[in-house]
Amino acid sequence: MKPLLRKLLQGLLLILGVTLISFLLMVWFGPDQTYTLIGKNATAEQIADIRQQLGYDQPFFKRYLDYLASLATLDLGTSNASGEQVNKILMRTVPVSLALMVPGFILGNLLGVALGLSAASHHGKWRDRLISGLSVGGMSISFLVVIIAFQVLLSTPYGLDLFPVRGWQVSGFGSYLQYVTVPTLALIFVTLGYNTRFYRAVFIEESGKDHIRTARAYGASNAEILWKHVLKNSMVPIVTRVMFSIPLVVISGSLLIESYFGIPGIGLATFEAITSGDQPVLKAVVGLTAVAFVAIQVLSEMLYRLLDPRVV
Amino acid sequence: MSGRTDILGKLKNDRAGLAGFLIVSLFFLLALGVWLGWLGQGWSDAGGGRWEAPGAEHWFGTNVLGQDIFQRAVYSVRTAFEIGLVVALFSTLVGAVLGALAGWYSGSWVDGTVMWMKGVLDSIPFYLFVAAVAFALQGQPWAMHLAMIATFWTTTGRLVRAEVMKIKSMDYVRSARSIGLHDSLILARHVLPNTSHILLVQATIAFVAAIKTEVILSFLGLGVQDGVSWGLMLAESTQEVLAGHFANFVAASGMLFLLLIGFNLLADALQDALDPRQAAL
Amino acid sequence: MSASPALSVRNLSVYVREDGMERSVVDGISFDLAAGEVLALVGESGCGKSKTAEAIMGLVSGAAGRVRADAIGLGDLDLAALGERGLQKIRGCEISMVFQEPLTALDPVFSNGYQLATQYRRHRGQSRKQSRDSAREMLRRVGFPDPDRIMRSYPHQLSGGMRQRLVIAMAMACKPRVLVADEPSTALDVTTQAQVLSQMIRMARDTGTAILLITHDLGVVAQYCDRALVMRRGQLVEDAAVTRLFSNPKHEYTSALVSAAREMRL
Repeated sequence: MKPLLRKLLQGLLLILGVTLISFLLMVWFGPDQTYTLIGKNATAEQIADIRQQLGYDQPFFKRYLDYLASLATLDLGTSNASGEQVNKILMRTVPVSLALMVPGFILGNLLGVALGLSAASHHGKWRDRLISGLSVGGMSISFLVVIIAFQVLLSTPYGLDLFPVRGWQVSGFGSYLQYVTVPTLALIFVTLGYNTRFYRAVFIEESGKDHIRTARAYGASNAEILWKHVLKNSMVPIVTRVMFSIPLVVISGSLLIESYFGIPGIGLATFEAITSGDQPVLKAVVGLTAVAFVAIQVLSEMLYRLLDPRVV
Repeated sequence: MSGRTDILGKLKNDRAGLAGFLIVSLFFLLALGVWLGWLGQGWSDAGGGRWEAPGAEHWFGTNVLGQDIFQRAVYSVRTAFEIGLVVALFSTLVGAVLGALAGWYSGSWVDGTVMWMKGVLDSIPFYLFVAAVAFALQGQPWAMHLAMIATFWTTTGRLVRAEVMKIKSMDYVRSARSIGLHDSLILARHVLPNTSHILLVQATIAFVAAIKTEVILSFLGLGVQDGVSWGLMLAESTQEVLAGHFANFVAASGMLFLLLIGFNLLADALQDALDPRQAAL
Repeated sequence: MSASPALSVRNLSVYVREDGMERSVVDGISFDLAAGEVLALVGESGCGKSKTAEAIMGLVSGAAGRVRADAIGLGDLDLAALGERGLQKIRGCEISMVFQEPLTALDPVFSNGYQLATQYRRHRGQSRKQSRDSAREMLRRVGFPDPDRIMRSYPHQLSGGMRQRLVIAMAMACKPRVLVADEPSTALDVTTQAQVLSQMIRMARDTGTAILLITHDLGVVAQYCDRALVMRRGQLVEDAAVTRLFSNPKHEYTSALVSAAREMRL
């Protein structure tokens, strides 16, 4: 139980750090909203009033502690921009982002594992070289370029014109497929190079272990070696990569995809909050991401124990 | 040094690496040409009509303002190198120093603090952090660079820390310590030079990451503020492609792809030549 | 000695690739291993003994290197002519191997019981339950008083000597005709060395398994082996009964080895 407790403690320190840094950046140095809210010709009294409402008149640590308290109680306040409750915004946008990002995320990793296995099992041969070469090529294409290219090829009259150009008018599974396909393909394409390369390296490392030679010497078939010994021994790095990229892909990836396609998910909401200085929303997103990160670390730690008997 | 000729020999045998080196050199010459005022100087002149087709006068055509796309794409090489070099240099430097300190004083509060900083920075979604920094320092042309440096150093830091911990336990360092040489001297003279292979490879990787990040940030409106870059050209093209004007998109993405693959191939070759074990991972 | 040898190696060469250059590490060696015999293959480190073992097992492949041989005869089979598929049926069954490093030889994420039982399922076609019974029985034979506990646990929970006995159990599970043992006791501490070696050789005698014992330890040769091959720089320089090897070494390299061993024991 000790490592788990230590992870939890480290996690708390991490949450403090993440919230502190983001608080500094987004709230302390962030844009001042006084005038956007009440206009240029306000009286001094109005200004003082709104600054008090926004908490601007409080000292730094008071505001930071208030922030932590609001995170802990999940009382996240209301958006400065729309007046909507932050909780409601999250409930509205997070499911959209998950629906948007999860298929591409899963497929990108599965395909990466498959290609990595294929390359590693033919290490040094032409198939490996082809896959490695394509991975480097894939890694050299910008996410933005991939998105534009897929959009032109699949959603415009200059290409196949099969899918809507942008937006998210989802009313059922059919329309969901219509809107999710192009972003998903772009996400798979842009992560595949990195994923394949990482998984290939893990599998090659594992294939070189002594116990693989033992298995071969005792008559294990190539399939058995690959699917049983190599794959099971690679589970810890695979799980680590997958788990730790969840918050990054879901937030960072959706930020770009959603602002490009105009999809009302958490990424777009976050981006709009950044550019308009909507602090309650920003504070909630960053704080909750940090919490999610810690939860993921603790969860990973528990998964490691299931996957590797040496982890105690 | 025999080690160095070895590396050159290995690089020579690595055809992909050699191709990468040539591509990067070529782009560097382009950047140099722009710096010296020989190339791309007409990037902001609106000398043509709107969306002129490629031709003798405007090789890649013109954009919505009638600016020459070829000139803009070439001038952007300089922008890319400025961002790449600054970010690669400083993020590697920060990573080397913090990683070395953490590794040398491993287990102490210095190590704890550095690792905590690394953990914190690694758990803030990247674009969110960069966007926040860029926004907090709005108007500052260096906001984007700062944000990237602040996050890119962590990988270098982790690798250098591990390497320094390994080197620290080696005999020659232990004996240098035992005869009373000052820590900072040992670090500077014996330890850091032995991490140069990590630094070189990480710097090339940071260069690639910086250029790619610039594209996204410029699209989001948080990147290059004045001047021109492939990211700005791509941002411009997002509307144009829907109307069937592809010149901006093709020019910027083509140049971008070439430079990135050049750097990626070079980074791989350097890794293979300098650090074969790590190369496998 | 019986008429037809258990293992008959003819003109075996091994090449390894380093930095794109091919280098010969075993250079056209030939020898026979009689049924039930314990044959030592001795030589200093780097002389090619371990590569010989891997080549016989068909474990040198792909990017690592290349094997050439006129024949590697195992009974009626020629291992050199069998493809990878054919070898998979033979390995661990007709011919098996014990490794130098017991700490890394076992798969860390599968239980000991599973790894041993797999041998019976794979080569004997036993059911899950049968194979576990066989495994339990085998563990008892290699000297584990509490096989059930061993079956449930994982390799990292065993000591080096215990792991090596588990490896021997896996190697001997199908009563192979030939056992290639590559420095099986080198990584163990002195007290366990003798235990593990004599265990292995006793079991081999019971099943009529011939052993090719690779070692650099002439003490081991003197104590356990019938005959010895001396290898140097990829070639066999001497092939002699063990008694004669010590009393009357033919090759000067052998005598150097022998006298070095004597001095060390003084």
